[in-house]
Amino acid sequence: MPAPADAQGLYREREERIRRAMALETVDRLPVIYMGTAFSPRYTGMSIARFCADPQARVDATLAAMERLGDLDGINAVPAGRITPALSRMWLSRVAVPGRDLPEDSLWQVDEAEVMTIEDYEAIVAQGWPAFLRGYLPRVIDPAELEANRSWVKAHLAGVLRRFREAGFVPLSCGATAIPFEYLCGARSMQEFFLDLHRRPDTVRAAMDVMQPALIAEGIAAARASGIPAVWVGGWRSASALVSPRLWNAFVFPYLEAMVTALAREGIVPILHFDQDWTRDLARLRDLPPRACVLNLDGMTDIRRAKEILGDRMALMGDVPPALLSAGTPDEVQRYVRDLARDCGPTGLLLCAGCDTPLDALPANVEAFVAAARELGHTEAR
Amino acid sequence: MSDRLIGAVADLDEPAALATARAELAAGTDALAVIEACRAGMERVGERFGRGEYFVSDLIMAAAIFARVTRLAEPLLSAGPRPTRGTVVMGTVKGDLHDIGKNLVVLLLRAAGYEVRDLGVNVPPQRFVDALAETGATVLGLSALLTTSFGAMKATVDAVEAAGLRPRVRIMLGGGPVDARVQALAGADAWGATAQDAVNLCRGWVAHAGAS
Repeated sequence: MPAPADAQGLYREREERIRRAMALETVDRLPVIYMGTAFSPRYTGMSIARFCADPQARVDATLAAMERLGDLDGINAVPAGRITPALSRMWLSRVAVPGRDLPEDSLWQVDEAEVMTIEDYEAIVAQGWPAFLRGYLPRVIDPAELEANRSWVKAHLAGVLRRFREAGFVPLSCGATAIPFEYLCGARSMQEFFLDLHRRPDTVRAAMDVMQPALIAEGIAAARASGIPAVWVGGWRSASALVSPRLWNAFVFPYLEAMVTALAREGIVPILHFDQDWTRDLARLRDLPPRACVLNLDGMTDIRRAKEILGDRMALMGDVPPALLSAGTPDEVQRYVRDLARDCGPTGLLLCAGCDTPLDALPANVEAFVAAARELGHTEAR
Repeated sequence: MSDRLIGAVADLDEPAALATARAELAAGTDALAVIEACRAGMERVGERFGRGEYFVSDLIMAAAIFARVTRLAEPLLSAGPRPTRGTVVMGTVKGDLHDIGKNLVVLLLRAAGYEVRDLGVNVPPQRFVDALAETGATVLGLSALLTTSFGAMKATVDAVEAAGLRPRVRIMLGGGPVDARVQALAGADAWGATAQDAVNLCRGWVAHAGAS
């Protein structure tokens, strides 16, 4: 651990490096960002059940993992509160929890099912999103569990952020939102929701239009609560590979554009955490406000195409594939990072695991990622 | 075969497909011919998906249309064995509860004329082995969304091998993080990035088995 004064200097250096990378300015070396929700407990010897049950243990494990991995600049999504209530809240689905519904040391899993009914679309319009949500959530999570988590976050958020900063790690975002598509898709189940888009588009659109302002407000509130001028904006089922252009143009992009624009107007950087393959629609993302967001890819979107199309518009973050970290070798990881830095750097790139470092990532592979990012991420020579 | 029904399915026009199927069945068209027309429409859907004109949302819609037309026609089918292109055992491997991709593969395989034994999610290796033995299936499809399920995929392939069924069973893998590396790790025969890939693999394999 560096001495406190050095730690402050190191923190400012990392913060400036990240800020410059996000602003597409030159950097001394590519920022290396940690995203290892499930990997942290496994790496530090904590059971997944404890990691899920105890929010303080979640922070401890994440910090311990980052300190053990070494020279990381920041963390993509700060672990504030318990992970499974947050997932239930975002997917509007029940979540199977290790130690309760699953074996002690297995990964939590979203139990995606048709919980929301067709009639609920009209209920959203009639009641408004916040009131509907209050009535809906007990279908997927015990309200007491959700409330306890909310209270914990309220009481401890500042302390959690301080611990990461004191350890020298820059929090990129804390708190999340998404466009209405993602919430409805989770609540209805993907199959039923996609059928709804075909069979009753006007009904779905009416609900989305009611939800959108509330979801933007959630993003703004999350950024205000943390004091970090950025928020994680998730996209997974609204990806181009899953949704036909006709539906994507009607139900995804207009809402995404409006959300990014509204957040940017508030001085908040959306970290577009886009899983799956968005390659088809990269050119449309040029219509988003310039230098206002970060595109965080998981290895499925062609990141080189993203660089070519969007390189002058937004920074890229990613995208070492989770499967490579689990089933590859340190040499393969090193080559991946080398090629990524060469092809998508030296400006506007933050090195990070794609989506999330998985629970069963081999420690040697994750360590190789950090080492390669440091060794190959220097930009002066290039 | 009804070009109108084929076209309605291929164009994802659910009202037209249902109206056409109802009209044809009412006019006395053989129920099997109606299902076959629907299947031909699904093949066009698969071709459009392969050309990048259709996406997963379109496959889901097409499979739903197929299921509804089949429900209309099935009660009118004559008794006796129905033609099938082969039997496939499918499931999400032990430890993994995700079923969206697997369900889509099942729907598309059924629409393509395969008999599918769907074992659901969190399926232990022995259940796959038992289902292969019971059905005589020559294709096994294993699905997973979690990287932590790669070991269960390998354990399932090993169990099929240990049961002596491997020479007659082709094994395909699918699911978000699955790729050629995972296929090699598990010892499977192929992997698919999309649900349509599973149909294409089965077509190649079952034709191959029939020729050998």
